[in-house]
Formats: sequence, C-alpha cells, structure tokens
Amino acid sequence: MPTIVDSGDGDLARAVAGRVPGVAETAEAELYRRFAPRVRLYGLRHLRDEDEARDLSQQVMLLAIEKLRGGAVRDADQIASFVLGVSRTMAKDWKRLKWRREKLRETFLSASMVGVPVPDATLDIDHLERCLARLADRERTVVLLTFYAEKTGSEVGRELRLTEGNVRVIRHRAIERLRTCMTSRERGR
Amino acid sequence: MMLTCQTPIPDDMLLDYWARDLPDGDEMNRVEEHLFTCGDCSARLHQMAALGAGLTALVRQGRVSGIVSRAILNRLQRDGAQVRMFWLAPGETVPCAVFPGDDVVVTALRADFSGVDTVTLSVTGPDDSPFGRCDDVPVSGPRGEVLWANPAALLRQLPSMRLEITLTSTGGAPTELGRYVLEHSASTPSA
Repeated sequence: MPTIVDSGDGDLARAVAGRVPGVAETAEAELYRRFAPRVRLYGLRHLRDEDEARDLSQQVMLLAIEKLRGGAVRDADQIASFVLGVSRTMAKDWKRLKWRREKLRETFLSASMVGVPVPDATLDIDHLERCLARLADRERTVVLLTFYAEKTGSEVGRELRLTEGNVRVIRHRAIERLRTCMTSRERGR
Repeated sequence: MMLTCQTPIPDDMLLDYWARDLPDGDEMNRVEEHLFTCGDCSARLHQMAALGAGLTALVRQGRVSGIVSRAILNRLQRDGAQVRMFWLAPGETVPCAVFPGDDVVVTALRADFSGVDTVTLSVTGPDDSPFGRCDDVPVSGPRGEVLWANPAALLRQLPSMRLEITLTSTGGAPTELGRYVLEHSASTPSA
C-alpha cells in the first residue's frame, strides 16, 4: 500500500491545499521533511551562514504551508517552484538585513566574540583533517580558498596565478579525492 | 550513493554552483529548479556542503598545515583566530615559540621572487632530518611572500630545536632563493 512518503510533491500539496490547520498534518509534515533541507541548502549557498539558513528554511516552509492552506498556490504540481520562489524572495530580503546587521556587528562586537560554526555531526572531522593533509599543496590551497575564504574560481586564479579553468579542474579533482578518502574510511568502519 | 535521478546534475556543475561560479541566469535557475524537485541531487549537494563546513571548522580551529594564502590568513584573523606570525628574510635566524591561546603559527618567508612562479619549501630539523616539504607553491609577484602555517597544538608538543627552511625556485633550473632558521623554544607545561 502506498504511504505518504511515496506520494508525489503535487499530491502532498493538494492534500494540504484549502484545508484548515490540523486536518492534513501528515501531508504537511512530509512536505516539511522533504523541502526544508532543500531550502536550508539554498540558504547556505546564498547566505553562507548555518543559523540564517536554518531560520530561512523554517520561515519559507511556514509561509509555503500557510499559502497552501489558504488556497493561494494556483498549481499544486508546481509546489517545488513555488517554494524556490519564496526562498529567493526571502533570501534577498535577508541579504539586505544581513548587510545592515554586519555593519552593526563590526561597530559593536569583536570578531572573537562570534561563535565558531559547528560542522555536520555525521562528518568525522579528525579523518577529514588527515584527508586534507594528503592533498597536494596546490589542491589544498584551492579547496581552502573556495570553501573557507569563499573565493570564486576567478578570484582563486588571480591569487594563485592560474586560469579560472585550471582552478576548476584542480578544485574538482581535490573534492573527488577528499570524498574518496572520507568514504573509504566509512566503508572500513 | 544509489541514484534514482534520471538527469543528475554533474558533479562539477554542482561544485560550480556551490562555489558561486555558475553565473546568474538560465543555467543557475535550471540547477536550482532541479535541486528543489530532486531529493537525490539535493542530498549530493548536502554532502558537498557538509564537507565545506567541515573544512571551515578545521581551519577556524587552527588545524591546518602547509602553505596558506594571504586571503586565508586574512580570513582567519577576521574570524578571531589567534595567529602568531614570524617574519624572516633570507639568511635570518629568528627565535620562535608558541604562546598560550595561539591557534596557528605562520612563518612568513620573504625573498626576491623576480621571474619565479612557484617554489619548493623544505624544512629540516636536528641532524638534517626532514621535517616538512611543500612543492609547487605559487608566489604572488617579485615582492611576495610564502606563508607556512602550522597548528599551534602540534608545535606545543615539539622540544626545543633548530629548524632550517630552504626556498628553491621550481622550473627549469632550480635556484636557491633563501635559507632561514627558526630557533624553536619548547612550550613550558601549564601548571
């Protein structure tokens, strides 16, 4: 028998559409389970802040479910596009606010008072340190400039006197090596 | 990972998207539309993001060894990491130590890098024992510098010793650009 987990996105959206709160809780929960992590990733990509990405995903999902309940989503089959659209709008507003907040933070708080982000609990950070050490120097620098210093390919290229295309190749190869190194450990567990 | 997605976003495109190398426009819109409708590709992006978060955490904890760029150093300092710097010119001997609260120790090596694109850094300890080596290190112009980073936690475990560093240009005819000496004093155990 098909369960709610097997339902398509559109079926879930239809189950919620036009219903008062409490009537379609299971469908709402499944929509949340399915889309909240995607909105969080979108938020991380555009806002580069774990807390803000989590807040964004909650606000986007609350609004999306509220709009569904109120019958404001015209095509239930396009729920993914609707959630993406809400994410884009909210992330833009967030960026404007963030810019203002950072100006205030720089004025009133020292950098050392701002907390260190917590890595994914499932990631073995000690093993990642060993995997990172195994990369060639250039690969390690490219990876750190990309993920830590948040530089684009052309910015990394300028810093390391490489072409943007070359940076992309090195970056892709380095990430593949890191991934292989990390998964070989997982398999060995 | 078993994929059921019939049209997965290629890995390099996913990486370009995450690294903001995919220009705003149709391609980026297509990638984002796909990520919102596809659990498999979304999970792959999640893995990549987790790797990035792990790398960021490592650097912020000072757990990074090898050559770092000026941008990484600036970012570390902006993030509030305690960076201990030692600057050396060719032929110089500098006493060095790790102090309480230090996260990373960075040795900045200066030399005349005219006409040099990349260098090799080699470090030897007592009795010429190899201590570290970094190959193919890019330098940024004739008045650039090479920044060699080590976790303070690692250096705290070292006894007092003399470290000799050599920078050599790489390429056709390798040339020695400078020799430097660090006189490392062991950390005193905290009470």
